[in-house]
Amino acid sequence: MNTKTKPTPSYLLASARQALGRFHTSPAFAGSMLFLAALVLNAALQGPASFFTVKNINTLFTKNTPFMLAAIAQSLLLMTGTMDISCGVQMALVNVVVIMTGQEWGIPFPLSCLLGIGAAILASLLCWVCCSVLRLPALLASYALTFVIKGVNVMIMSVPQGKVEKLYYKAYDSQIFGFIPASILGLALVLLIWAYVRRTRLGTHMYAVGGNQRDAFAAGISPMGVQLKAFLLKGFIIGAAGVCLTLMTAAGNPLQAEDYGIRSLSACIIGGLSFGGWGTVGCAISGAGFLVLIQNSVYYFFSMLVKMIPGFSVTSYYQNFASDLLILLGLLMTMVTARGQREALRRDIVRQLKTGIGLRDQAGTPPPDGAAAGAALAPPPGNGTGPENTDAPAFDTLSAPAVSTSAARTGLSDGAGVGAAHTKEGMDDER
Amino acid sequence: MVELRDIHKHFDAVVALHGAGLTVAPGEIRALLGSNGSGKSTLIKILAGLVEPTGGQVLFDGAPVHIRNGRDARSLGIATTFQELSLIPMMSVRDNILLGNEPLARLGLVDRKSADRRIEELLDRFHIKCDPDTYVQALTPSVQTMVEVAKAVAQNPRLLLLDEVTAPLHYDEVELLFGSMRELAAEGVAMIYVTHRISEVFTICDTVTVVRNGETVAQGAVGDFSTDTIIYHMTGQRPEAAASHAGSETGGREGEPMLDVRNLELLPKAKDLSLKAYKGEIVGIGGLEGQGQSEFMRALLGATPFQGGEIVYDGQPRRFRSPAAAVREGIGFISGDRNREAIFALRTVEENLLAGKVAKGRLFAYMSARSIRAFARDAVGKYAIKIGSLRHAANSLSGGNQQKLVVARWIAMSPKLLLLDDPTKGVDIHSRREIHQILRRCAQEGMTVVMSLSETEELLDNADRIYVFYEGHVNAVLSGAQKTPEALAAAMLGMSGPGAADAPSPSGPHSDSLSGRSISRSIPGAPSPSGPHSDGFPVASSPGFPGAADASAAMSPATGGGGGKGATP
Amino acid sequence: MKDNLTPLMRAKVFVKESPARMAFIIAILLYVATVAVSPTSLNANAIGSIIMMTLLLSFASAGQTIVLIGGGMDFSVGAVMSSAAILATTIMNHRDGYFLPLLISALAMGAFVGLCNGVCAVKIGLPPMIVTLAISNVVTRMQYVLTQGSPLGYVSDAFFRSVTTRLFGVQFLPSIILYAFIVFPLVFFLLNRSRFGKQVYLIGNNPLAARLDGIEVSRVQILTYVFSGMFSAFAGILGAAYMQSVRCQTFDEYAYNSLIAVIIGGTALSGGIGTYTGSIAGSLVMVVLSNLLTAMQLSPTKRNVVLGVLMVLLLVLYNREKNVRQ
Repeated sequence: MNTKTKPTPSYLLASARQALGRFHTSPAFAGSMLFLAALVLNAALQGPASFFTVKNINTLFTKNTPFMLAAIAQSLLLMTGTMDISCGVQMALVNVVVIMTGQEWGIPFPLSCLLGIGAAILASLLCWVCCSVLRLPALLASYALTFVIKGVNVMIMSVPQGKVEKLYYKAYDSQIFGFIPASILGLALVLLIWAYVRRTRLGTHMYAVGGNQRDAFAAGISPMGVQLKAFLLKGFIIGAAGVCLTLMTAAGNPLQAEDYGIRSLSACIIGGLSFGGWGTVGCAISGAGFLVLIQNSVYYFFSMLVKMIPGFSVTSYYQNFASDLLILLGLLMTMVTARGQREALRRDIVRQLKTGIGLRDQAGTPPPDGAAAGAALAPPPGNGTGPENTDAPAFDTLSAPAVSTSAARTGLSDGAGVGAAHTKEGMDDER
Repeated sequence: MVELRDIHKHFDAVVALHGAGLTVAPGEIRALLGSNGSGKSTLIKILAGLVEPTGGQVLFDGAPVHIRNGRDARSLGIATTFQELSLIPMMSVRDNILLGNEPLARLGLVDRKSADRRIEELLDRFHIKCDPDTYVQALTPSVQTMVEVAKAVAQNPRLLLLDEVTAPLHYDEVELLFGSMRELAAEGVAMIYVTHRISEVFTICDTVTVVRNGETVAQGAVGDFSTDTIIYHMTGQRPEAAASHAGSETGGREGEPMLDVRNLELLPKAKDLSLKAYKGEIVGIGGLEGQGQSEFMRALLGATPFQGGEIVYDGQPRRFRSPAAAVREGIGFISGDRNREAIFALRTVEENLLAGKVAKGRLFAYMSARSIRAFARDAVGKYAIKIGSLRHAANSLSGGNQQKLVVARWIAMSPKLLLLDDPTKGVDIHSRREIHQILRRCAQEGMTVVMSLSETEELLDNADRIYVFYEGHVNAVLSGAQKTPEALAAAMLGMSGPGAADAPSPSGPHSDSLSGRSISRSIPGAPSPSGPHSDGFPVASSPGFPGAADASAAMSPATGGGGGKGATP
Repeated sequence: MKDNLTPLMRAKVFVKESPARMAFIIAILLYVATVAVSPTSLNANAIGSIIMMTLLLSFASAGQTIVLIGGGMDFSVGAVMSSAAILATTIMNHRDGYFLPLLISALAMGAFVGLCNGVCAVKIGLPPMIVTLAISNVVTRMQYVLTQGSPLGYVSDAFFRSVTTRLFGVQFLPSIILYAFIVFPLVFFLLNRSRFGKQVYLIGNNPLAARLDGIEVSRVQILTYVFSGMFSAFAGILGAAYMQSVRCQTFDEYAYNSLIAVIIGGTALSGGIGTYTGSIAGSLVMVVLSNLLTAMQLSPTKRNVVLGVLMVLLLVLYNREKNVRQ
């Protein structure tokens, strides 16, 4: 894109401002800001020296990849206008299938992983039948399924047992080249798949079905079919999450991870997704990151207090209380930001009407505002690709696909042009 | 090419279609007319694959077909623009237009380049000035409608169904649309055109089909019909002799005004609006669409805040913080956007009638079942609302009766001031007349009625005085002999109408701007940024003809609400 | 017109128009099944305990009904109940004469949580489901913080008896029925005979129209949450009386159970439609269902599976969303 226009300083500045405005009004904005805040808080409380170590980052990823994957899976369903709070027990299902097929039938680990993923896809299909085919309210149907799947889990494995060969869980905990956590691979794989899907018809159709089923149907899309594909994709991702969970715990437990279902939903909402057709996978990642880091921060905050104040002791009850309270505050923050975005959108419609009626002289909004508002109209930012995304999901989620555009449009002063809005400069400027 | 034969459809126990039929040939534009609830939209939805008929046959190219879904409709070459639009607000214009039709590149990826090319073509064709990456929710209604049309045309259809597309469009956009329709017809595309504006039928359509109560009652070439015969077929009644054109001239005007609005400022739409309404008077508000009428009404009600000026109501300056506060003081509001803003579709007729009474008074006061029932029965009888039972849901009624329900809800409360924002939008002619009769009766009993109307004929017929809004100012006040279609049309276009002198004397610097604006706008075509298609400005040259007045009502001096943004210089 | 309906359509219309009656019929069928599975369960005592549990659930779902009709959703029912129960055992601590202070403090606590829910969901505009869940998490954590994980105390004997005594010595009439004589008419009044109730229905159906109609939408919606909090708190202290001593999170499952009971009773998730009678019937279905599962003497595992499947079936029966194609 830059080849088309001369990169004069003023142009770069303008495009940086556009990018900033665009980011400011994207659905991922609130979530990524929260994530960033949590990151800073966590690093500060833990001490940057000990936070930014390969070991610590590695631990963060090994412990939280399953949850992040669950949030990503959930976000796909939210985009398609449905949800599944039985995600958590489905992960446990993968866990028990992987462990038991290995233990009882002597199937090699990689193969039993595939079986586990298959089980997750089956469970997802069941949920699809309830939500899309039978058209039950997704929340209640998936709640009911939670019982069914939990029951099945216990049927397969009655008590926690089994183990994973050392080779595999060591590999999961290890670092590639000494600094890239191996657990990222799962995340990267899923994000790559999604980056592909987003660019196919299915990607658009998912948003369309989430936005309005009837309209999508009228456009020749089968909402049921699109939801089926979304559920299959989600089943696969949950399968991957379950495998990661198994590698992380290196044991089997039929009754674990149930709360991942609801928590992944919370993560998505905090990240800025809303029910039906709004938000990106980046939202889910930053939301999940926020939840994780806040819990971490609270832990380090209390241990700092314990260190600083002699004789001070605290139970985990306080920690849980504080982190849940912060999560609630995070939710409120998301909504406040979303409201600001709506306001920007409204301002822009007003501006259109104004220019339409010819009251431009009365327009009281200074250009930067206009730019921000204009950017509200940007397409949903593409979803992050590649492993670097997980390092700073907040920003890389915005490295959207290039938008071909005419120079005339980018030249417009009111900032609605597309231009080089997605360039890195804009992001760095924001930072 | 397409024939619908003896179509029946019932939703559980509600019969929507009962022997409706329709044919359309290639290159033909057929008008599909009928009053609200007559089954037009259901017919359209059957062809679009959204509704499964319970009986009858759909023939396409002579062979019976079964349109099970949108995909089937598309593969037959049927494209639809829906009255309530099928755009997805949270998706971009590009994605919306190409939805389900995206060009593919390798590996099943969407081909962005050719997508962009097609979008640019389409946007140019319909003179839509917007960035294809814009979210649809950020567009003005008229641009959204044009995008909806572009979306349908993008499918290269053989049969194009247009359901009430012109309602939110500006005059020049309507012209543009008609131009495209003629082009498409010349290419051999068949079209079914649903509209409430009967004058348009004579402009664009070749043939007419009229449905009433789910039955086809008349078909034929457009030359065989006149406005009167169409109305006859739609309502089943001969149109009465034109209602008294004058309205009541005497209505009040003595003593203190019930409502005195002074220099109301409501950014961005309205800059300086003054209006007086007296007891027992029906004050009409006219103007092109989007000149601040709705905002004005909502500001009076306290639903939106206003930035400057003063509202004196019942002798006291007031600034209501919410509609609830206004309602407490005896103001009632009736919106024309029935489904969104007025009707409680799932609740019973009784509860809908009671909504006004329910809104006022102590929250935990006891309401006896008997008094509620008596109240509702009374209202139904008084306003001749056709209902099955008070216990049926409101959405079992036809549009006209629903609107009467809403009107009755407020009139039964006998508010001191009744505000109506385009109350007859999408209401059939018969109910329309009844609503106006009810309002007149109320005014005679001493109620003050302030009503904005988009139909100029109706405005002239029913308002005692007409305030014409233009660009956020009151451009003219018409009363008595000045109430002519010519004067109204001129004032709506921003020319200083004969009534301009009669306008409440604006104070301070506003007076300059008012007259200055009027002059600058008196050469309408020239300053209009509407581009190449602004040539057809008829400037109310044939105002005697109702159709022309109607059309000018939709005329806009500045086109493309989408303006500015992303426009190619 | 109505005469030429097929029996299937007639059944559909019946289910659509009177979900409450439908729920009662299901409850009876389930009970018959219970008796068939285990004839010993047909005794007055068992019926008494069914009534007891049903009333408890129906009290908890009273607020949920109001909130759902008004277009919201309240997931904090369970957390508020548990907290109120802990409050009851702590305040009473096996002593008589503390009922009034308990009632006042529990209702105040419920009202406060409801207010928080209402403000967050209505004024700030978060999805009700997520925000009430987040708030209920905070409330639950609060239980642990304040009691250090192990609540102490018992309810007073008098209070215990006021809930569990069998009236007139008849086994199937637990005295909790007396409380129902207060709660049921109160809810009936709130929903059907007060201006508030009428407004709630209108708001649930069309909030924008309600606002332009002059209804103070946010105030009424917040009030629905406050009522929900108060009804949950009331149910919580009665629950404590029934259990005598409680742990943290004792009644948490009531959040979902009340929601499902209300939905089975014909209240729409999208708001604007529903009756409290339906919710009572729905509560009965839930309790009889769990009774049936107990009577079948299934292992907890199978019990879970059967419960899940039956819930899906119940939802299929009459809470399906509209098809996009008609």
